Amino acid sequence: MLEKVSLKMLDLSNSKKTGMACLFIYMLSPFSLHADFKPTKPIEFVVHTGPGGGSDLLARFIVQTVEKENLSPVRFQINNKTGGSGVTAMTYMAEKKGDTHTIAVFTGNWLITPLTRSETKVSVKDMTPIARLVLEPALIAVKSDAPYKTLKDFIEAAKKSPGMLKQSGGSSTSRDNVVRQLLMKSTGSNWTFISFPGGGERISALLGGHVNVMVIEPQEAGEHIRAGSLRVIAQVAEKRLPGFSNIPTLKEAGFNIPNVPQVRGIVMSSGIPVDVISYYENLFYRLSKTATWRKYLEDQQFEDGYQKSAELSHFIDGYTDQMREILKEAGAKVIR
Amino acid sequence: MLSNKRSMLINGNFISGLVLAALGSYIFTQALNWDYMTIEGPGPGFFPYWYGLAMVFLSLLLVASAILEARTSENPKTVNWSEVGRALSAWLLFSLSVFLMKYLGFLIVLSALTWFVIKFMYQQNQKIAITTAIGISVGFYFIFAYALQLNFPVGPLGL
Amino acid sequence: MEILSGLFNGFSIALQPLNLLWCFAGVFLGTVVGIMPGLGPAATIAMLLPLTFGMPPTSGLIMLAGIYYGAKYGGSTTAILLNVPGESASVVTCLDGYQMARNGRAGAALGIAAISSFVAGTVGVLGLMLLAPPLAKIALSFSSPEYFALMILGLAMVVLLAGDSMIKALLAMLFGLWIASMGIDLFTDASRFTFGSAELLDGIDFVVVAIGIFALGEVFANMEMQGGASLLPVPKGMRELLPTMAELKACRFAFFNGSVVGFIIGVLPGAGSTIASFISYGLEKAVSKHPEKFGTGVPEGVAAPEGANNSETGGALVPLLTLGIPGSGTTAILLAAFVLWGLRPGPLMIQDNPELFWGLVASMYVGNVMLLILNLPLIPLFAQILKLREYILYPIIFGISIVGIYTSSSSFFDCWMLSLFGLLGYLMRRLDYPTAPLILGLVLGDSMERALRQSLMMSQGDLSILYHRPIAATLLFISLLLVCLPLFRNFNQWRIRAIEDNG
Repeated sequence: MLEKVSLKMLDLSNSKKTGMACLFIYMLSPFSLHADFKPTKPIEFVVHTGPGGGSDLLARFIVQTVEKENLSPVRFQINNKTGGSGVTAMTYMAEKKGDTHTIAVFTGNWLITPLTRSETKVSVKDMTPIARLVLEPALIAVKSDAPYKTLKDFIEAAKKSPGMLKQSGGSSTSRDNVVRQLLMKSTGSNWTFISFPGGGERISALLGGHVNVMVIEPQEAGEHIRAGSLRVIAQVAEKRLPGFSNIPTLKEAGFNIPNVPQVRGIVMSSGIPVDVISYYENLFYRLSKTATWRKYLEDQQFEDGYQKSAELSHFIDGYTDQMREILKEAGAKVIR
Repeated sequence: MLSNKRSMLINGNFISGLVLAALGSYIFTQALNWDYMTIEGPGPGFFPYWYGLAMVFLSLLLVASAILEARTSENPKTVNWSEVGRALSAWLLFSLSVFLMKYLGFLIVLSALTWFVIKFMYQQNQKIAITTAIGISVGFYFIFAYALQLNFPVGPLGL
Repeated sequence: MEILSGLFNGFSIALQPLNLLWCFAGVFLGTVVGIMPGLGPAATIAMLLPLTFGMPPTSGLIMLAGIYYGAKYGGSTTAILLNVPGESASVVTCLDGYQMARNGRAGAALGIAAISSFVAGTVGVLGLMLLAPPLAKIALSFSSPEYFALMILGLAMVVLLAGDSMIKALLAMLFGLWIASMGIDLFTDASRFTFGSAELLDGIDFVVVAIGIFALGEVFANMEMQGGASLLPVPKGMRELLPTMAELKACRFAFFNGSVVGFIIGVLPGAGSTIASFISYGLEKAVSKHPEKFGTGVPEGVAAPEGANNSETGGALVPLLTLGIPGSGTTAILLAAFVLWGLRPGPLMIQDNPELFWGLVASMYVGNVMLLILNLPLIPLFAQILKLREYILYPIIFGISIVGIYTSSSSFFDCWMLSLFGLLGYLMRRLDYPTAPLILGLVLGDSMERALRQSLMMSQGDLSILYHRPIAATLLFISLLLVCLPLFRNFNQWRIRAIEDNG
């Protein structure tokens, strides 16, 4: 049954055929390859946000899906190691060297924070990548009564009155600001970025007409678009999202800037034996193919970002280099 | 003259005023390292600059009024150092418990702390001290770890 | 009419036996986590979220919302009995609640907290039901300059929280501002006052400071003397356990004030319940005939903040349910719950899912009644804790403080900070520095700095944005009046003395 499902998935997927095929072989002969390692006690699942944060909700959904679909012989136990913008959790993982029963959710922050913070002593380089799970796309939205019909309109307006238009967003190293920096640089325009700590405050500022534009998550924006209070002028994604098939991606709209995905996945500490890596790799591969997971991705409007360990390791290197360049250009002090 | 000077030295307002003035100057000098203004608006140094300055000003005011008071008041408040000593040793005990918690686990340390407080700080007999110490730990275990499923720092015995 | 039929429909959902059960489960759990310091409603809801996937969304929402508003009831218990704020919003309740307990009125304080919570909680639901859509629109017109003015109004409360020395109160507030600015600066990514420690990148958790300064500081101060006079008197009999008619009468305005202030501030996505309780406490003191008695255990001083933090819940649900905008950590998790249930919170939700909205509103009326019935009989039970000898009580407070801090972050560093702030709390008591202004500065400092910088970014550095907008100007004017209040009082006293001298 499981094989059949994954076969179907294979047919549907249009990228990374070879990688998938390899995994497919894993699937057919799980015992010959993974008989060596079996977890013997509950698996500690480290999360760097408090209960209810983005990574925490993802982790709790994973735990629930693992239980529901019977993917693991032992329980997953969430441990919220909050503090230090994720640094506390990263340090904790680095200390767990060789621990085969501890995994953690990582996000783009884990890759970016060590680049600029002298307080951090560890980075994802000191850990073992296991699987990339989701990519979170974004939309660029304006208020529906704004004069900008396309991103080009907005950029033109920003060029006319530099610094007068405003964007609401998160911290200065957040994706929102990175996208802005890239756009401003490639078009020679200029507008102001105003930081708000909470997502609610960012949308309120846009809806209330206090700022002009926002990089917003599709799921956050969906209802406001349906109610007619927001208009999407571009999407920050590799390919168009199913719910927004008439909106161009940045590339399609003629803005040739690198895509900045928000990424989440699983890492372990360093010094993990190969058979253990492939055990977890396989577990999360099976997870990513379950119907429950598919529905979750659809509801949250995430892109399926599954990558196995080796690919993820490659991705992390590329992503870190890219972010280093972007941060340098944005004027941040890069120390690593 | 001498007693005047002494009362000034042990005057809490005078000392805490000086400490806060030092803190204020520290905040202020740190703030100078950060941008006061950026192109987009006030920088990270803007706010600490002003409250650091306000802190220096107000604490010096406090110091000045303490000196004036010391001059004029005839009966300076005396500090009962044995009371302060008891409170500070309670604090030291608490800090020691936090330190030991990492190695011995929460429940053991809580019992030890309870026992010590009862036996030595309140000089009750051994029976009361030991039963309460055990009782409190068992109670904490049942309410927090068992019923509410919270995790404590765990020691070598898994407690 | 539409509202009546909606409400009727809502009650027919909320009164189904199963939903009643979920409602009870929610408010009961809420009370429990409210009592436990550190374990907040946000964490509880997140942990229980997976359980609700199998339920119909309305039942799930009824239960999770029950946890949310139930926790506000429970938060006052430890604040009054042990001076340990069970929740961030209960800090203000400590000020007069714990003093009432010291005066032997612990039962009355708990009773007033429960009654005020009930009244204000109900008013909050009423507001949610009647005013939600129009109010949400008004809330959107609130922007950074208005928030800045609101925070200034909050900080102006320091005038009312000061004890004998205004200088010391201001210094304590500035110290709070300093702690508030520790960590990464949101705007520029600079780290401020982290002393090279990664743990300080997120700043110091408010709960750590509050429990350290209020609870531990108090215990250390009480331990100065062995068997000192500080042991709390135990209320005897029903009479001493319940608030008297006179006390309830004194709270009449506080019930109203707490309900209204809490609801209005709750509607604003960028404010929060701690600010609501501080402002309503300040307002109560400002209009009181005997402001000097505040802080010594007056019932209004419990009723106003407790009311405000309960009606805040109804207010906070307004932007959540009508716009899909969360204003706090807890509402953000409720929002996540909606999405996981496959619902889409936003401007059309009430229209698309009327049974959800009306079911919730009706369940909140029911839940508030349940909470009152649940909490009143608990008072004599909780009051028993005062019978404990001090040498048993203090280790329990030590234990609860550590559990409260450690379980929310699993961090030993936070426990060290707790110990440090315990020492600070003791020293402040010893040296006669008021503690409430420090908490005030800590709660408001961050938001105020942010709002100021956001405003000036919006106006390209033009300061007039701060006072050219009507709401902001009004709030700033009220703050100015507040700051001048002691001057008027002093002048008045001087005038009376002058007249007496002449006579």
